[in-house]
Amino acid sequence: MQKIKSLISVARPVKAADYLALFRKIDSEMRQDRISGGKKVKIALLSSSTISGLREILFTKCCESGILPEIRAGSYGQYAQDILSPNSWLYQFNPDIVILWTDTLSLLGDSYFNPYEMTGVQRRKFAEEKADGLKSLVKALRERSGATIILHNLEVPMHSPMGILEEKQDFGFHESIRHINSRLSETFREDARVFVFNYDEFCSNIGKQQVVDHKMYYLGDIRIDIQLMPALCDKYIAYVKPLLSLSKKCLVLDLDNTLWGGILGEDGFEGIHLGPTPEGRPFLEFQKSILALFRRGVILAINSKNNAEEVLRVMREHPSMVLKERNFAAMKINWNDKITNMHALAKELNIGLDSLVFFDDDPANRQIVKAALPEVLVVDVPSDPALYMQTLNRISDFDTLAITTDDLKKGQMYAEQRQRQELQEKTEDISKYLEQLETKVSIEQANAFTMPRISQLTQKTNQFNMTTKRYLEEDIRMLSESQKSWVISAKVEDKFGDNGITGALIIRKDSVVWEIDTFLISCRVLGRGVEETLLAHLIEQAQKAGVQKLVGKFIPTNKNAPAKEFFKKNGFMLLKNENGAEYWEYPLAKQYPFPSFIKVEVKGAK
Amino acid sequence: MNRLKAILSKVLEIDENKITDETSPNNVPTWDSFNALLLVSELEKAFNVKFTMEEVTAVKCVRDIKEALRRHNVKLEE
Repeated sequence: MQKIKSLISVARPVKAADYLALFRKIDSEMRQDRISGGKKVKIALLSSSTISGLREILFTKCCESGILPEIRAGSYGQYAQDILSPNSWLYQFNPDIVILWTDTLSLLGDSYFNPYEMTGVQRRKFAEEKADGLKSLVKALRERSGATIILHNLEVPMHSPMGILEEKQDFGFHESIRHINSRLSETFREDARVFVFNYDEFCSNIGKQQVVDHKMYYLGDIRIDIQLMPALCDKYIAYVKPLLSLSKKCLVLDLDNTLWGGILGEDGFEGIHLGPTPEGRPFLEFQKSILALFRRGVILAINSKNNAEEVLRVMREHPSMVLKERNFAAMKINWNDKITNMHALAKELNIGLDSLVFFDDDPANRQIVKAALPEVLVVDVPSDPALYMQTLNRISDFDTLAITTDDLKKGQMYAEQRQRQELQEKTEDISKYLEQLETKVSIEQANAFTMPRISQLTQKTNQFNMTTKRYLEEDIRMLSESQKSWVISAKVEDKFGDNGITGALIIRKDSVVWEIDTFLISCRVLGRGVEETLLAHLIEQAQKAGVQKLVGKFIPTNKNAPAKEFFKKNGFMLLKNENGAEYWEYPLAKQYPFPSFIKVEVKGAK
Repeated sequence: MNRLKAILSKVLEIDENKITDETSPNNVPTWDSFNALLLVSELEKAFNVKFTMEEVTAVKCVRDIKEALRRHNVKLEE
């Protein structure tokens, strides 16, 4: 991947031809086996019209994000056959992602030009049929393939033979297209694997007049200006990145000339620009947008050279300061360099540098961070603060494919974590600290509300995870419904707030042996007695059930060292080492006490 | 001519020094129908012009491209 990175940094692609030329370079390197690394993903492109060039541009765009994809495109207009025939190349290819693009003209045929040949009633019927056709096609694809499906909606046309009376028509032409779009959105709203991509909005953003170059359309049946393909691919990549766990988690902010105008140390509390003035509003509204990200679960942090007391005064007393101390999970406000602070932030938050996005007005600082910490995403901040908000809103790297209720609270949870940390630093004795936390663990059988989160935990937990088995929501449902397995979750609260569901246990069982298939604890509650509490509950249940053997497995990975000693430290005995995995057994004759400082609540035991 | 050559070279993957007025789809295998359209797109963008469909279909070699650009008042420094 290093090789690709250097090719990209030399080429600095902007136009479509740059991306295509770069594609050929990377492709030839690959053919000579000179490329390794990168996250792998298989993408299939299905379309109703010519998309020459899109595959190559998408490939290069993926490479820019550290992804090494394999992309195949179906012949245009063949998408229905490709989906409906079980032996098609599509299923042999077995893609992780399918992008399905049917354009309005192809779908409507002649009625695209002459929509009022039909009556309103006929148009409604026609639109329903088209929507149903697309829906059943996607459902067929969904059944036959495990892929995540990205479905374009339809571009609502600009033209109408009715002119200014278009909106007066009974179920008019434009309304019928909007109707198909709403149908698609409704149908797949709850579907975790199908995502409707709002192509109509994409076209509006560009300006619909610019989307089609009619000369190219007639010459090559090209229905999107080739020069817009890189922007379209950016939209696709926003779905690819979270699927490969490449989403960012934390926004790291500078202060002077970033959250407010001016320099606090020089201009003073009253002198900084922040508030309902022309100079202050860009910063005020930028802060409001940051708060909106916090509300959807993005973690906020500060990395700034400043006087901490002066900054805290602004946060506490400035009438227009939107972001408060409670919104920040970590604050490095000192005279250390940005790199040192960035490392300290990652360590304090217990997340990787590759989870950070850095927003700083100073180009020199950005360059320093970019050069020293290539894992950090450094935002190209425009020099005009009026453009900050728009720049922030364009970042798709915080996108995830699902938002659980726990995600929504994540920014807040991390901010509470900072308060815990402060308590721990004040308290000398760790056991006193744990007592003062007043932790409560609620253990609960998996149910419809907790399954999405349990699945997400198996996907995302790397450190305290005994086996690192990844499960989809559907797998969790099957496991929890089966008589041969048992799925429970642990919700952790303490005096600073609710950590949400942060632990899970999956047991495969028969009447004689219980095997721990999955045992994981999110790192944000690790070392606070939660893992021992879950184990105590498990051992108690096994003893009650009269099971003869309780067996645990540890499969080492690059990241799960924190879990390595757990079985050993808690009275398990090593049975064997096999294919790199350790097998441990707990002697069930022995009692295992619940940690005394934790309040335990058990709901619906099986 | 230099900017034109740079674009031709990038789109068609050919050496700038080997580009002449006579360079055409007949002697450059990569000059296929898609690259022809990509070439139009890149030229329009770089020189801020819009060709008509007829102008595009009339191009048979690099000389024709130069003439079309001149018709749109693009000055090609030789």
